[in-house]
Amino acid sequence: MSFPSARQLLTVICLFSLAGCSPQKYSEKFQEGLVYCSESDPLSMNPQLDTSTTTADATAHQIYDRLLEFDTESGRIQPSLASQWSVSNDGLTYSFTLRTDVVFHSTPYFSPSRPFNASDVVFSFNRWRLQDHPYHRISGGYYPYFESLGLASNIADIRQLSSNQVEVVLKERDSSFLANIASDFSVILSAEYADFLMSMGTPEDLDELPIGTGPYQYSSYKKDHYIRYLANPSYWRGKPDGDALIFDITPKSSLRLAKLMTGECDAIAFPARVDHEIIREREDLVLAEKAGLNIGFWAFNTERPPFDNPDVRKALAYAIDKNTLIEAVYFDSATRARSLLPAASWAYQSDADDTGYNPVLARKLLDNAGVPPGFTMNVWAIPVERAYNPNAKKMAELIQNYLAEVEINVNIVSYDWTTFRRLLREGNHDSVLIGWSADNGDPDNFYRPLLSCDAIPSGTNRARWCNPAYDDILDRAIQTEDIEVRKALYLQANQLIFEKLPLVPIAHAYRYQAYRKELNGMIINPFGGVRLGGVTKSRD
Amino acid sequence: MSRFSLYEDEIHPSPWHHTWREFKSSHVALLGLAILLLYVFFAFFAPLVTPYDPLFQNTEAILVAPSWHPNGSISHLFGTDALGRDLFSRIMYGCRVTFGTSLLVVIIAMAVGVSIGTIAGMLSGVRSSVVNHLLDALMAIPTLLIAIIIVGILGSGLVNSMWAITLALIPQFVHHTRTFVRAEMKKDYIQASTLDGANRLQLFYYSILPNMIEMLVVQGTLALSIAVIDISALGFLNLGAQPPLPELGAILAAGLDVGYLSPWNIAIPGIAIFLMVLSITIVGDGLRSALRKRVNR
Amino acid sequence: MINILLRYTILFTLTLLALSALSFTLIYLFPAEPIINLTGITPQNDIQHDALIRQYRLDSAYLIQFWHYLEQLFSGNWGYSLLSGQPLKDEVLTALPATVELSAYAMLIVLVVGIPIGCYSGLRAYTNADFTINSLSVTVYSVPVFWLAVLFILTFSLQFGWLPLSGRLNLLFDIPNQTGFLFIDILLAEDVDTAVVIRDAFLHLILPTLSIACISTAAIIRVTRRSIIDVLNQPYITAAKARGLSNRQIFFRHVLRNALLPILPLMAMQITTLITNAMIVETLFSWPGIGNWLIQAIYQRDYSALRIGMLAVSTLVVIITIAIDLFNRLIDPSREKFESVTI
Repeated sequence: MSFPSARQLLTVICLFSLAGCSPQKYSEKFQEGLVYCSESDPLSMNPQLDTSTTTADATAHQIYDRLLEFDTESGRIQPSLASQWSVSNDGLTYSFTLRTDVVFHSTPYFSPSRPFNASDVVFSFNRWRLQDHPYHRISGGYYPYFESLGLASNIADIRQLSSNQVEVVLKERDSSFLANIASDFSVILSAEYADFLMSMGTPEDLDELPIGTGPYQYSSYKKDHYIRYLANPSYWRGKPDGDALIFDITPKSSLRLAKLMTGECDAIAFPARVDHEIIREREDLVLAEKAGLNIGFWAFNTERPPFDNPDVRKALAYAIDKNTLIEAVYFDSATRARSLLPAASWAYQSDADDTGYNPVLARKLLDNAGVPPGFTMNVWAIPVERAYNPNAKKMAELIQNYLAEVEINVNIVSYDWTTFRRLLREGNHDSVLIGWSADNGDPDNFYRPLLSCDAIPSGTNRARWCNPAYDDILDRAIQTEDIEVRKALYLQANQLIFEKLPLVPIAHAYRYQAYRKELNGMIINPFGGVRLGGVTKSRD
Repeated sequence: MSRFSLYEDEIHPSPWHHTWREFKSSHVALLGLAILLLYVFFAFFAPLVTPYDPLFQNTEAILVAPSWHPNGSISHLFGTDALGRDLFSRIMYGCRVTFGTSLLVVIIAMAVGVSIGTIAGMLSGVRSSVVNHLLDALMAIPTLLIAIIIVGILGSGLVNSMWAITLALIPQFVHHTRTFVRAEMKKDYIQASTLDGANRLQLFYYSILPNMIEMLVVQGTLALSIAVIDISALGFLNLGAQPPLPELGAILAAGLDVGYLSPWNIAIPGIAIFLMVLSITIVGDGLRSALRKRVNR
Repeated sequence: MINILLRYTILFTLTLLALSALSFTLIYLFPAEPIINLTGITPQNDIQHDALIRQYRLDSAYLIQFWHYLEQLFSGNWGYSLLSGQPLKDEVLTALPATVELSAYAMLIVLVVGIPIGCYSGLRAYTNADFTINSLSVTVYSVPVFWLAVLFILTFSLQFGWLPLSGRLNLLFDIPNQTGFLFIDILLAEDVDTAVVIRDAFLHLILPTLSIACISTAAIIRVTRRSIIDVLNQPYITAAKARGLSNRQIFFRHVLRNALLPILPLMAMQITTLITNAMIVETLFSWPGIGNWLIQAIYQRDYSALRIGMLAVSTLVVIITIAIDLFNRLIDPSREKFESVTI
């Protein structure tokens, strides 16, 4: 029989399978730009509108600059767009001298006709500050960072003295003011671009097609896939090394690591804790670590019964073993949190009261509070890795187990990150495993956004807890520059938090950054979003 | 004939007996059947054979290597997962969930599909044409799409994904039943029954159904392998079974997160699904070829 | 002939009508408000809410609503994505070609590899070669596609570092999206080194295509083999042999045609499997196709996107199925449609 022979068939198959299998490492071919694998979609292209790390990472230090910024090593405030600043003796008036050699991005959708000047600063502040500003209501009208800190209501006036002089007058002293305007969210937008958009009738483009002064300029964005930036050729600190920057949006951490290994990403956000050993073992990858200014916690929705009862909240806190959670979820790359502040902060209290593991007491407290065995509650777990909680779902499953011991049933709730934040903000949760990464080194940046009354509508107070006594302590603390007085006040706040326990502090985690060893200048920024402007890629 | 038999004429092996004899002659098919029976055993008796509760989290023993690994321990045969749960127990329960639900789904889909198919087969004219053509077109819609829609309406969960897969499997049964009933209705023995005064229900129950069972078994195994793959795929995509429920696809998806540190968390659930589908396919193939040989003889 | 065409046109229209009716029903079945499911716009206040309801006729009888819905579909107004705010038509029309492209290449491999091997195996039925091919195809056929894709990634991307694992193209290449079909877009694009980019696109294509193709290839091999064996047992083959025709003549004149005709409908069904598998594989390879898009939409509870995505995918699949069915009917009028062929 002479049917088509096996050899002929095999040849055809081989031709198909061989094509492209050259023994060349895939990663060696592309070096003209930087690819950063991020974990989720930013909510907006303007960090004024959102406090999430995802948004800050994608925008704050790539597209924009601030008046001042933090030194990533020392945490000291240093000049950025403002070359120098001074404070009046009463601590109420701040004046800034601006750089004159800064220009805004020139893109296909907008070309600036003038360099950066004082009117841009005034516009950027007034947008979130003034309720009747034409841009205030655009894109939702929520400025969570500024609202949660009460910054908007504390600024009495902001004045343009000359084209490069700006003066800010406060109503009351605020020792955290400079730190706040150096944070990721106090970005400077272009007033000229805003006017241009207003005249075109598309003001909402200000937050979708951004114009800033940063090292990279926005090029395109495809939801769930990528954000593309081009280098800003006239960046005032010098053009970035590569021609392009790509944010490759990859929600699964294992896939991010895979892409880092193949060289499809140069750096990745939030390497999973379990993979740290793997990254350290590989010679072509680097794992940088730094103590982070953050806290992971379990917040109860104090507006919902029975969680409005402090005893119920305490009982639930006693039912879980924090040390085990830290071991299993953070793999010991975190320290146990006793209150809100991490040890790196100057107001840290090492002997703050803390809840231990005591399921018997927990059940007793629950019985006294009238919570029957078999009660069902939900625990919301953030669907993304965060420094403060690298694996909230896993933590939720552990908590589910612990609460089963005190006869409480737990439903674990999780949505896509964007949806999750929206529903959480609406207060649909019983309790949530989430956390906070500091935007600046000031203690007020922990206490106020997390638990003050003003932070409920702005959505950062996940416990939805409002206690006038607590707010009063915080207000008094920022009205003085005296460190010892402030410290004493924060101890009082710690005590109050322990008594009412609107949230269970769990851990302060280290921050990690994984990148390929060809990258230079990749520094972990403990005060917020990733900075890729100064990163270079060595070409051998 | 190896043995002389005086009463040869009186031995009339039943068709089933006959099929079994043919099936038995293939070693591969027998091996497949053995593995399949093992899965059936796990599906029913998982609680008796598993050493641990599949939900029990031993935080002292996270990501323990499997027992054949130098770092492994004999107390966890397949090692443990990221939460310190015994992987062997989870796989056993996973087989129970995945295989059990697949079986249930196939039985429901078969019952519904056969009823509709029989009615469609006995109908004629425009009504039947419309029903048939629409069903054929619907048959083309991917299971995953149906599942996504159902999850969209009802939310994710194992039960909801079961609905989706049942809906997706029904048209296959309808189609095959209809074709079969159509063909049978033209045959003489049906004519004879009709002349005897059997009504349609009796016709179906006494004449058609007994002849259809073999076709159903073959189609059933085919549907079962599809159901297993679909249930685990939905679990894998986090649209089906939700944690902590041990379902093989969901276990595999969870294993991906720790895949670099403990590759067996990817390998073992994958192999479990693969072997399950393989054994079903082999048994189905064996049955089919046994039936074919019997008919051709 | 005309009669057949007419029947298929009616069938096609009816099916599409049924599918649009289903997608219209989804507006009321999904958890969010009907107006949001329909338009993807979250009304900011009552005035806007009422205006939208009037604009989309949601205040009238269901039949009128449905008629208006059909009008909107035909005029290209498919609503907006709840989350990205982009017009759904644009999103679907960029995502769908990526899936079609992936499936088409996979189908090509399936046919080019599957049918010859299936023929070979069928002709050499019950030999060792046939046994090997058959057991291999049964084995591959039983591998869950998502696991196969993971194994491919682990082996070819991570272990050997030969092939990339994400997307259609290295993101540093900025190829403007014109047709949605990548290779055409690359050829249309200006200012790029076409050879380098095409090579990159090709490398990106290999793993996802193979993951999908393997399983369907195994299925096609099995079907083809069975069909060849059945044909070889037919009396007319014996007759042809008796007439002294060479094996080659027998194979090409009698066996091939008669064996391939009955499996055509099965191949049509295989397309459904292929597209399902493509949708699953897309999520693993970050492939910007419709499957990935739909699964993101369900994760994000983007109901308006789900509604249109469901309509788009099912319409595509139904068109392909009916077209193949029609083709089959035209070249082989004697057959009942979808006659069962065993494996």
